[in-house]
Amino acid sequence: MANLFMFHGRECPHCKRMMPLVEKLEQETGVRFDKREVWHEEKNADLMRSYRPIIAAKCGGQLKVPAFLNPDANDAVCGEMDYEKLKDWALKQS
Amino acid sequence: MKKRYWRCFVCNDIHCGIAPPELCPTCKVLNGYVEISAEEARRILGGGPGVSLTADEFRAAIERFTAGHEFQVNPDREKVDLLVKGIFENERNHGLKYCPCRLRCKDWDEDLGIVCPCNFTIHETYKGVPDGECWCGLFVRRK
Repeated sequence: MANLFMFHGRECPHCKRMMPLVEKLEQETGVRFDKREVWHEEKNADLMRSYRPIIAAKCGGQLKVPAFLNPDANDAVCGEMDYEKLKDWALKQS
Repeated sequence: MKKRYWRCFVCNDIHCGIAPPELCPTCKVLNGYVEISAEEARRILGGGPGVSLTADEFRAAIERFTAGHEFQVNPDREKVDLLVKGIFENERNHGLKYCPCRLRCKDWDEDLGIVCPCNFTIHETYKGVPDGECWCGLFVRRK
């Protein structure tokens, strides 16, 4: 099973909208995301920053949230997306 | 080019930029700016009017900011409420009104680029997009 992260912000509307889709995906497919809030938990923020080369390369040069990351595959995708796109990305990682 | 600080010798307005304005926007004196150090600028500003903005005043400020532009504050009240809450949380916890939908990288100059309102007109979610919006969605193209 791939080691996947979801970096999110508590007051980010895109993250709030994506969270139920992530949970649905986890229930339906068995994929698991390690969910890390980055604006109120500094250790999570530092973890996200440590992956900046991967995330920024895929997300317009910035550390955008929500960010979905597979550090082992150097792959990431950011922002709000529909369920099928998230599912395709997550299943491609496994 | 590196920005520097300038002080109007008449009214003590502070300007930060690569060059001072010819006309002081406050007292209208011509060629009144002299270069000062960052520390001097901080001291002058620190002793100045202790202006703080409430969330409602910030909302009013961004409404005034968007007037006359091709963009407006998002009419989705619930989304704006959440974003403004995050912007103020970030100011309280991290010093500036950072965008809640991006993370600062801890490089001062670079992080100024995610202070709200940011220059979202160059974002891929806004530039050339008919129903474009800034990354977080606080500002949307006016219809």
